[in-house]
Amino acid sequence: MRKRATAGGIVASAAILALGWHLGADQVAATTVPATGTAAGGAATPSASSGATPSSTASPSATATPTTGTGTTKSSGKAAISGTFQGTTEQTQFGPMQVEIVVAAGKITDVKALQLTNQGGRSVEISNYAAPILRTEALNAQSASIQSVSGATYTSGGYISSLQSAIDKAGL
Amino acid sequence: MTVHVFDTMGTVASLHTAEPLSHVDLAAVEAIFVRYDRTYSLYDAASDLSRVASGDVRLSETSSEIRDTYALALDWRQKTDGLFTPHRPDDVVDLSGVVKALAIDEAGTLLSGSTDDWLLTVGGDILGSRGVDSVDWSVGVVDPDDRGRLIGIAGLGSARRALATSGIAERGEHIWSRNGRSHYVQATVAADDIVTADVLATAIIAGTPDDLDRISSQWDVDVLTVDRDGAMRGTPGAAEWTRRCAAAATERASTPSV
Amino acid sequence: MTSTLGTRSAPRLPHAPAPSLQVAAKSRRRDHRRRSAAVDGLSILVWVSGALAVALYLASPGAHILGSVSSVVTALGIVAGLLATDLVLVMIVLAARVPLVDRVFGTDRAIAVHRSLGKPVLYLILVHGLLITIGYGLADSKNPVGETISLFTTLDDMPLAYLSLALFIAVVVTSLVAVRRRMPYEAWHVIHLLSYIAVAVALPHQLSVGSVLASGTWQRVYWIALYVVALGAIAVFRFAMPAVVTFRHRIRVIDVEQIAPGVVSIHLAGQDLTRLGVRGGQYGVWRFWTANTWWHAHPVSFSSVPDENRARITVRDLGAGSRRLSRIRPGAFVSLEGPYGLFTAKARTAPYLALIASGIGITPIRSLLEDSPLRAHEATILLRGSDPDQRYLWNEVAGIARATKSDVFAMIGPRASHGDAWQSAEDWNRGVTLESTFPHLLQSDIYVCGPQAWTDLVVRDARLAGVPEHQIHQERFTS
Repeated sequence: MRKRATAGGIVASAAILALGWHLGADQVAATTVPATGTAAGGAATPSASSGATPSSTASPSATATPTTGTGTTKSSGKAAISGTFQGTTEQTQFGPMQVEIVVAAGKITDVKALQLTNQGGRSVEISNYAAPILRTEALNAQSASIQSVSGATYTSGGYISSLQSAIDKAGL
Repeated sequence: MTVHVFDTMGTVASLHTAEPLSHVDLAAVEAIFVRYDRTYSLYDAASDLSRVASGDVRLSETSSEIRDTYALALDWRQKTDGLFTPHRPDDVVDLSGVVKALAIDEAGTLLSGSTDDWLLTVGGDILGSRGVDSVDWSVGVVDPDDRGRLIGIAGLGSARRALATSGIAERGEHIWSRNGRSHYVQATVAADDIVTADVLATAIIAGTPDDLDRISSQWDVDVLTVDRDGAMRGTPGAAEWTRRCAAAATERASTPSV
Repeated sequence: MTSTLGTRSAPRLPHAPAPSLQVAAKSRRRDHRRRSAAVDGLSILVWVSGALAVALYLASPGAHILGSVSSVVTALGIVAGLLATDLVLVMIVLAARVPLVDRVFGTDRAIAVHRSLGKPVLYLILVHGLLITIGYGLADSKNPVGETISLFTTLDDMPLAYLSLALFIAVVVTSLVAVRRRMPYEAWHVIHLLSYIAVAVALPHQLSVGSVLASGTWQRVYWIALYVVALGAIAVFRFAMPAVVTFRHRIRVIDVEQIAPGVVSIHLAGQDLTRLGVRGGQYGVWRFWTANTWWHAHPVSFSSVPDENRARITVRDLGAGSRRLSRIRPGAFVSLEGPYGLFTAKARTAPYLALIASGIGITPIRSLLEDSPLRAHEATILLRGSDPDQRYLWNEVAGIARATKSDVFAMIGPRASHGDAWQSAEDWNRGVTLESTFPHLLQSDIYVCGPQAWTDLVVRDARLAGVPEHQIHQERFTS
């Protein structure tokens, strides 16, 4: 191999590798939004909620747990916290996944799964990922205008007292 | 809107239609379920499948319909990597995992011949159809911790037609996953057909979070799961259900009670 | 083509060539430097393509978020795959016989580079598969076997990827010298063509699995463009251009002349043949369209420079394929790829010319000689044959030498018994060497052509004598 070609090749390659690395680093930095207000640990527990929340609600145990800070839960007193927080990025089979939570006036209002690498929605694979969903207060079924309900199967005996029977009666 | 309720398959079926159906049509729908029950119910010692289970008849000697159903169940077993299987631990062939859905599917085909707007619910499995000018049916997804409350509201009829929920409290039986206790306590699947929705809901309960990822990526379905800690996961379509629920809750909260 | 005779006005000094020779050499050296720069440019391009392949990964966010062992292992696997595919595409371009590459580097050397890349690329592909399987497996808590099964059954394009791997293995294994020697050429060639399929079926999984080449990224656009360029080069230079050449010139066989035991000259007729631009010393890849010769394409040198309507190649039977050529009937239609090769006067950089040929190697030497404008005593020729039957075309060489006032030497006889010399036994004992044969050896371009082992020995001696590498030219034929 000619020396001149080898030297030129190595130099050009190094430059390209550096450029590529830089491009990637820029892209990662661009998606990390600095938090406004104090970082409230980011643990996705609803801070203040009205009374009838089922007691079993806890932080979503998803594969991408949002923890921008050290994960300490603050009490509901900090109403001033607002902002968008990024969780750590987890590597999945389809690429890196990151969760973003939106906090408004101390309440977590949205949890989104960010897909850093795919903007095109190329296939069902990435776009149909089952991402963590924030548990909010469940809706009282009586007050919803629904025509049916899906849950565990009930026996004929169980039907009488079931939600479905109430819905059916309401429709008749 | 009319509602017709009837007993079948050990549970109760609810049929909502925009226009009333003729007695003939209703009788035909009920007859479909009767036929499936008589053939496949393991709670009826005289059913064909019970006779196979007791050894009186060999599976190969049963009707082609039963063998086709068995083949379908095996096909799903292969597709779900064994998470869904018609084979019980005691080696009895149990097709109840697909039979209810197949009956609903057949009834749906019959109903579509008579009317465009119908919603058939059989023990939590739901199949619906909406005419071109109508609004989707609204179907609630119960909260596994409080059966009187909902965690999501799904629309059925146009984009998705079928919804099925599987849970570990199903009829008091426990679905044991391959890896020990189930990770998920409830899984709701919306699909374009009820068999897919039902089978995948069962498969997800029997599987791990990795299985959920694989299933949601391999099939065009919406999935909403609740795990033992109460945490929820959902595909983008299912996230919409929870948002609808939250919106309704907020609306309800802001409306002064009458 | 006749050569112009130089005048003998200046005395021949032992160390300083005549001024006219020097001037010619100077312009050739300039050409050589340009070619050299072009070759360096192409080499750097190969380096750059490899770096770009790796940079595709570095530019994706995944490269900056490597947290666990599994993600590092997977990352290495991804990089190996990108690099391997890039080199496969480079190999394809090398095999495409691109005219620019032939003009500055030589198609035969390009094929040699192509061959040398085969095994390393296969290793890279295997590493790619292995590391990704292990990496994914660590993330999924599966052992490699379980993970392979999972990959195979879950992702739609993975079965094709495994097929691609199997085909590559088949292609590389059959191309190992030890294996290839034992196969008939046609069988080897058919298996080698599977590499196109291997390349094609590998593409779907590259575009659908993983995030580096996901849709919407510039990486995907670049990657597809790379495939288009590589396969396009094959389509244009291996199919389209030869088809144009063949139909433009309508070459057919008009005579098959036996000039020695096992050696035939095939006389060809065509139209507008000078437009081919064949330089003396070049070869073409010939396909004779008869029932039992059409599937085998042969690289054969032109044994004379074509004129408007006539061309000639001379073939020695070295195997079943070439043997069938001697039985071709006149009228057979011929297709031609080429002309290729840098074994021409254009590649010269030195004032003097040393030509040394053995056996069938005389064919490019003969046409090179015909095509060179030579001054008196610029060229010296050595012709080697193992027995008197091997003296075909020698009379033609002698004729041209006489006309150009070049010196010709003959060397007939079996090799020295120790086997380590290119000379005949008799001449070895007489102490004949390159230096003793060729005056001004160190200021000569030495062109060697003959059986590979013999050529290697001549080249070795030339290097030992101190001839600079760029002045040593050899024709390597094995395709």
